[in-house]
Amino acid sequence: MEMKTRLAGDVNILEIAGRFDTNTVPPVAAWLEHVTVAPKSRVLVNLAETTFVDSTALATLVQALKRCQQVQGDLCVCSLRRPVYMIFELTRLDKAFNIFVDEEHALQSLSS
Amino acid sequence: MLVALLSSQYQRFAAIAEAWLAQGASAFGVFQDGRPLVYWPSGHRLVRPSLSVAITKDEQEIADLRVAGISGIGAEMRLKADASMISYMLQLEDELQCMTADLVMSQDQQLALYRLTQSMRNHVTVMETLQALVVEGMRMTKSQIGFAIFVSSTGQEPLFVQSPEGALSDDVAWRIYWHTQSLEHEVILPDAEGELICPASIGNLLAVPIWVRGSVMAGMGLANRPGGFGTPDMKLARAIADQASAQIERMLLYQEMFDQAKLRTEMDLARRVQLDLLPHQLPKVIGLDLYANSRPALQVGGDFFDFIVGDGRPLIFSLGDVTGKGLSAALLMTMTRSAIHSKAQFMPFPTPEAVMRQSNEDLFNDFTRVGVFATVFVGQYDPGSQKLLYANAGHSPVIYRPFDGSAELLRADSTAIGVLSVSHCRNQTLNMRPGDLLIVATDGFSDARNLRDETFDIERLIALIDQLAPRTAREIADAMFETVDCFGGGRNQDDDQTLVVIKGAVS
Repeated sequence: MEMKTRLAGDVNILEIAGRFDTNTVPPVAAWLEHVTVAPKSRVLVNLAETTFVDSTALATLVQALKRCQQVQGDLCVCSLRRPVYMIFELTRLDKAFNIFVDEEHALQSLSS
Repeated sequence: MLVALLSSQYQRFAAIAEAWLAQGASAFGVFQDGRPLVYWPSGHRLVRPSLSVAITKDEQEIADLRVAGISGIGAEMRLKADASMISYMLQLEDELQCMTADLVMSQDQQLALYRLTQSMRNHVTVMETLQALVVEGMRMTKSQIGFAIFVSSTGQEPLFVQSPEGALSDDVAWRIYWHTQSLEHEVILPDAEGELICPASIGNLLAVPIWVRGSVMAGMGLANRPGGFGTPDMKLARAIADQASAQIERMLLYQEMFDQAKLRTEMDLARRVQLDLLPHQLPKVIGLDLYANSRPALQVGGDFFDFIVGDGRPLIFSLGDVTGKGLSAALLMTMTRSAIHSKAQFMPFPTPEAVMRQSNEDLFNDFTRVGVFATVFVGQYDPGSQKLLYANAGHSPVIYRPFDGSAELLRADSTAIGVLSVSHCRNQTLNMRPGDLLIVATDGFSDARNLRDETFDIERLIALIDQLAPRTAREIADAMFETVDCFGGGRNQDDDQTLVVIKGAVS
């Protein structure tokens, strides 16, 4: 797993490449914890290069989502590959997260 | 030196004197700075010697041999030969003394190193080892200040000890350490040609790097030794550093073994918690052939299954997976299982939807605090109607195969417990006629990987269930474990594998 982070306006963007699972969660969890402290923090997790997510990885995203909501911010995910989207769908996390086809749409929603 | 030689070899000097007297000399003596040290015969003060030859040491005249009453070339040559012999004896004596001193020092050092090893052996942390190193290093080199630093490669806080406390500023000590670390050899200060300037607070200093597992991870500094540091001190400090290096490596190994043992204990405990809490006996329900089993992975996850049977109440069963691994997952699993169990057992009219909604309400805050969720499937069998009522909170894979159709995946209707503050679970219904088959498994099956890193996937699982459908619940479960094992090809099981198999039977 590789993670890259950048800033677009005031949106913190995280890109995760490869397997996102129990073994690779710690750095992502640490980063998400760091960026979700500020009031109204907005985070976009781009999963375009993510090949697999397990339940621990999903729990990390859910935790970050809850933290964002607590500070009146928002967290979106975008660019999910089919197998990863299926996991979101099967666990019905598509009901909890705002999922966008690409970064552009996600950023539009986050900045509106 | 000459006096010592005279007293230790008095008999030999007396023999030389006798030989001279026998040859006709009236007296023979050894003189230093014009004063006699020894002479024969007693009473003859050799005030006017006939011959006098210098005894030398390191090409310096330090004394002279004198004879009286005899002269001539022969006598002079013999006296010179005697003086030369005594000079040579003096030189040998000197070398012997040096060698003895070296030997004594080396014995002292060996003893001190032995004591150092002994004292270090009693320590169990790197910090204690560094403290012992500073104390022993200062004692052995007679230095007034000592410090030692250890920088772990695993990102733990660096360790720094010094004696006496506050003798050097942290900044000075660290600068010296990084300098020796980059040079990878000893540094002696003051050094006119070196890059590092001797800090104003100290007179002289010897710093040695300490190699740990092939790189410099620690260092020792000794300062303010009366007379400064020389090569022997450097050698000694290096020997001390080697001892410390071996000891630190032992400490690290010990720490790693300790951590591993701790992890193993934790994993064993987690596995026990998980297995002990699962039902040991499966209920017998008219109209159902059911079987359940769970196989924890090495690094235990949070899988569970449960059957709740009450007098006159329909069977309720649950299967779930709490996110995370290890003891924390096992503990959260027991919490989730208990929450569901008590609702199913004590609610006046429990349905899967009600049990799920109530459990979500109970667990949401705690789950939010620790950042986990639990996917859960709850089913309730009504023997009268041969129907199964169920609610699925984000759980997958759940596969249903009617006796007259093919296997299909049942998707969850709401998010897992702990994701949203309000559960949107709804009761759903399945037929449970003879031959109808429901398999609720955990992702340990669908996510199982083989040696090529491919996952077993839900498609394979559905195909497998179609193939196994005619068998009994127990046989289906056993074959599923076996098939996933075969697929893994010997690869370690990544996650717990748990399943409940329910098959409609002729009542």
